[in-house]
Amino acid sequence: MHPLIRSRALLAGYLFGWLAFGVVFLFSARIESAPWKEAILLAAIAAGLAAVLFPYSYYSCRALPLRSTPPPTLAAGWIGSALVMGGLWSALLLAISKHLQLLPPHYLTWQGWVSFGLTGSFMYLVTVAMHYVIIAHQHSEESLRTEQELRELAREAELKALRAQLNPHFLFNSLNSISALTSIDPKGARKMCVLLADFLRKSLKLGERPIVPLAEELTLLRAYLDIEQIRFGNRLRVEWSVDAEAEKAEIPTLLLQPLVENAIKHGIAQLPEGGILRFSAHASNGFVEVLLENARDPEADVPAGLGMGLQQVKRRLRGRYGNGASFEAKSLEAGFVVAMTFPIDAGDDSHD
Amino acid sequence: MTERTYTALIVDDEELARALVKEHLAEHPEIRIVAECGDGFEAVRAASELKPDLLFLDIQMPKLDGFEVLELLDPRPVTIFITAHDRHALKAFEVHAVDYLLKPFSEERFEEALKLAKGKCGESRSTTPDPVALAATAKEGKLLDRIVVKDGTRVTVIPLSKLDYIQAQDDYVLLKTAEKGHLKQQTISSLEPRLDPGKFLRVHRSFIIQLDRLVRLERTRTESWVAVLTDGTKVPVSRSGHARLKEVLGEG
Repeated sequence: MHPLIRSRALLAGYLFGWLAFGVVFLFSARIESAPWKEAILLAAIAAGLAAVLFPYSYYSCRALPLRSTPPPTLAAGWIGSALVMGGLWSALLLAISKHLQLLPPHYLTWQGWVSFGLTGSFMYLVTVAMHYVIIAHQHSEESLRTEQELRELAREAELKALRAQLNPHFLFNSLNSISALTSIDPKGARKMCVLLADFLRKSLKLGERPIVPLAEELTLLRAYLDIEQIRFGNRLRVEWSVDAEAEKAEIPTLLLQPLVENAIKHGIAQLPEGGILRFSAHASNGFVEVLLENARDPEADVPAGLGMGLQQVKRRLRGRYGNGASFEAKSLEAGFVVAMTFPIDAGDDSHD
Repeated sequence: MTERTYTALIVDDEELARALVKEHLAEHPEIRIVAECGDGFEAVRAASELKPDLLFLDIQMPKLDGFEVLELLDPRPVTIFITAHDRHALKAFEVHAVDYLLKPFSEERFEEALKLAKGKCGESRSTTPDPVALAATAKEGKLLDRIVVKDGTRVTVIPLSKLDYIQAQDDYVLLKTAEKGHLKQQTISSLEPRLDPGKFLRVHRSFIIQLDRLVRLERTRTESWVAVLTDGTKVPVSRSGHARLKEVLGEG
């Protein structure tokens, strides 16, 4: 469909353009000392004819895309069609003027037709240029839309992947702990069942939304750590410190969960005697500072660079907060630290 | 006639998981638990010292994984593998027809595995799965990043980056690092495919070198080649080894 029909604003602009042309035409007619009545009529007809005839060039513009058409073809095409359309416009204008006796006889000649025709051709080329601008605009809008759709898809895929990360190793080991507890400590077994159910329910629910309050993510972390506490016993020593102000921040769902899982898997679980897992989230000057530190086996290899999981966390932080967030992860002699900051108030309704 | 007795070692890094095995074994007076271990090093030490008949062995553990533990043991106890969820390990068990327990397991399943294991205790050594082959299947496609060796009761983990070269010595390989040489009972041919071909190259029937340790190639009087390494060691290079070297290093 022609864009002028689709958009009222565009149509108004287009008609205004021809009105301006009509006004210019009117004054040049006045300079040629045409009487007001004839000059106005002539200008109206000239602008009207052009407004009706020239928009069809839109379809030729679509057929001759600027980027992929060779320049000689473009030049030949547009000069040719400009001359034809300018000539047609000029001929119609002169014919009507003759009929209504708007022009003195010396205009109604071969030379008159040519000079009007060249003006028409020029105006035709202006219309063509306008169409190319419109097409370029349409393209950029389209690509913006596809980009948004793609981003939406990527986000959904990411969340799905995160939910799937509920790792089976954790689940089966927890079930095994329950199995052991049933005879040693039946109450403990029941508690573990409840914790596990609680954790599963929370993580399923959380996965439905892209953004959640930090408070909710933290209850999930606590549930997870409570379970691991039973599995690892005194090998896992959690130091937890969170303030209420920080809990208000809204963060991408399951942002922290993979980090804590890593801290257990690559840290505590690799140490026969276990170690400390320290988590803190504090508010300061409008930002939340999150720190996660865990003991690790000093004899184990230090991984080079950020792993996939850490990279994903960094990317998601940037996706939501842009340059407003910072992220750092580093290995210590016998530990691993992840530190990040992000604004408490993201300041808009942006979604990652 | 009284039934023979068995000694057993339980290896799992989670206390509750060990407790569960102990509980099941409590029903069996013929089985005596000689020790429990929470990590790979401890397991190797205890097993070498106590030489148990039966080994209950978790796969994912601190320090050494279950395969590495088994690799270091000689003689190898009859082993019951226990794992929560390790797709690769499971595949290895299937391929090599090894019995295993999946956490959490039922009492019936435990009894079945135990009965099978007890039966194997009387048999010859050959029924024990080869841990090197098992690990190769379990870590299929994944190259080694470390090698574990045992000198006496001491277990050493050698990161591959520290290896200068590997030399075959009968049934053993000598793993040479800057500090010292470690002997390990393994053939050089079973080791070769699990090394990164971009970093290690078999230059001779009996030698694999770490490529970045190579300084230059020298021609000997007998028209053959030797590789000179950064520490000055001269390693013989066979004709086919020379061809492989030239291919890897370009014509230079």
